[in-house]
Parts: sequence; C-alpha cells; structure tokens
Amino acid sequence: MDTQTQAKWDKAAPTFDLMAGKGAEARWRPFKEQLFANMQGRILFLALGTGLDIETFPPGRDITAIDISPRMLEVAGPRIAAYDGDIDARVMDVHELDFADASFDQIFTSCTFCSVPDPVAGLRALRRVLKPGGELFMFEHTGSRYYPFKLMMDLMTQLTRRIGPDMNRPTLHNVRAAGYRVVEVNNLFLDVVKTIRAVNPET
Amino acid sequence: MDSRLYFVLGDLFSNLLVAILAGWLCSLLIPAGWNMFLAMLVAMVIGMAVGLVLFFPLGVAFGAMEVMLPTMFTGMFSGMVVGMWAAMMPLGGLQAVAAGAVCGLVGVNVIWILNNSLRGVQEPREGA
Repeated sequence: MDTQTQAKWDKAAPTFDLMAGKGAEARWRPFKEQLFANMQGRILFLALGTGLDIETFPPGRDITAIDISPRMLEVAGPRIAAYDGDIDARVMDVHELDFADASFDQIFTSCTFCSVPDPVAGLRALRRVLKPGGELFMFEHTGSRYYPFKLMMDLMTQLTRRIGPDMNRPTLHNVRAAGYRVVEVNNLFLDVVKTIRAVNPET
Repeated sequence: MDSRLYFVLGDLFSNLLVAILAGWLCSLLIPAGWNMFLAMLVAMVIGMAVGLVLFFPLGVAFGAMEVMLPTMFTGMFSGMVVGMWAAMMPLGGLQAVAAGAVCGLVGVNVIWILNNSLRGVQEPREGA
C-alpha cells in the first residue's frame, strides 16, 4: 500500500467535497450521467472518494468500488447507503489490486488518473482485472497540447500536486501505453476535460 | 463552455471580474516610462496570478477547469494590454477598468471559440 498517497487523501477527506466544489459537480453531472449510463455486467469503479459520483450512477447496478483512503470511504458511507443498487466499497491501492485476473466486464474512473502516482502501472493493473474485450470508461481532466493552456497547467501542477492532483497528465497517451485500444475520445472542455472509452484487446 | 444560462453568466462574470481587477492592478503597479516588453511580461504574470487567486472562490460556484483556465487566460490578456498601455502613458483608474472589461469580453469570447473548435468526439489519435 502506498501509505504516502493514502495519507494525502486521508488528510483531504474532511474538506474534499468543499474543495471539489458544487460548481464542478453541477457542470460535469450531465456528462458523467451519460458516461455511467453505460454501466452493465461486473463493474469496478476506481477511486470512489467521498462518493460524489454515486448520484450520477444508474440505479440497480452491482458495483465494486475501491479507494486508497479509508477516510474518504467513511465520508462516502451515507451516499453508498443511499444508492438504489449495490456498492461494495473496499480500501485498495490500484497498484496492488486484490482481484483475480479478468474479474470485471467494465471499469470506470472519474478524475482519478490525475492522482495515481504511476498512472501507466495503474492502468496496466486495471487491465489485468478487466476481461479481454472488456471496456474502460474514463472521465478525466488531462494536460493540454495547446499553449498557453499547457504552460498554465504545468505551473498549476507545481502547486496542486502537494495537496492532490496533477493538472498536466497525458492520460490518453498513458491509456495507450498501458496496452488498451482507444475507441472514443470526447472533449468536453477544450482538450482538457474529456471522456475516454477504451477496450482491453482480446489478444 | 457550457450553454446552461447559469454557467454562461458565471463564465462571463468570472472573466469580467478577473480582467477588470487585473487591468486595474496593472495600471497601479506599472508606471509610465517602463520598458514596454518588461511591462508586458510583468503585467501578464500579475494578470495570471489574479486569475489563479480568484479561481478558488469562483471555482466553487462555477466549475473547475472551465473556470481556472479561462480566468488565467483572461487575466493574462488583460494584464498584457493594460500593462503595455500603462507603460506608454499615465492611465486613470476608470480607463484601466474599462480596458480590463473589454479584455474580459474578448478573452471569454476567445475561449468560447477555442472550446467550440476543440470539443466533441475526436478521432482516436495520439494526444494528451
């Protein structure tokens, strides 16, 4: 277990909802609802956090959710209980997944790979537990390829990585580097906020 | 950007506020007679810093990246224009505020145009 990352998110847990901001959640809600409407079969949700995304899950799904921070999952407790379906929340590090190979039909992430310390290793670990032909759905903010936004996000990352996420991750590149086949990229704001749909190749 | 009225007005308000404040601050901090290039660089940094600082309260209400990047961009643009103007000649507070407001409108429109050209389903090619 990466105790340094765990401690960082445990510390952030009490104020995370305020930090995440109602504005961002309201702005992103329609896009998340659209992405999560694809949930079917055995589902792994990575980095549940305080459970802000649960309201955007379709009802009646059976979801296994993990997060590295037990404090985050404590805050998520009432939201998990209120979900009209089944969420099995566990404390787990994405780099050390305690699931058998090919356990899940789908994996979902939401603003997660800005914070995973080794994103390619994390994505490879997810690929191991995803069935061949299984789908990875991501709602992520990434770095930009365009100036001046690239410069701004590089600068911001120097501030934000101490307390939380990196702002300049090349997540689409990382998804490919981990061996997935990218099926669709949908830019929601500039080339920074996006959804990514990728498949674990059969061979 | 978002087409919901709350967010359209929020984007407009955020960018105008940052641009006006950045312009006003630059008019106070940059005296007439400064080297124009130096004034431009300093004012751009001031403007971007104003955008970054105001992102925290504005972001709670109006969003994350959708507020942070436009306000930093608009602040930088407003600082650049007003800072260079202030280096050329003495600038009154009202003039700086008016120039900042115009820069705010231009900035938010530039972001809207850029966003409309980049958003949507992309060809799955290499990128960020």
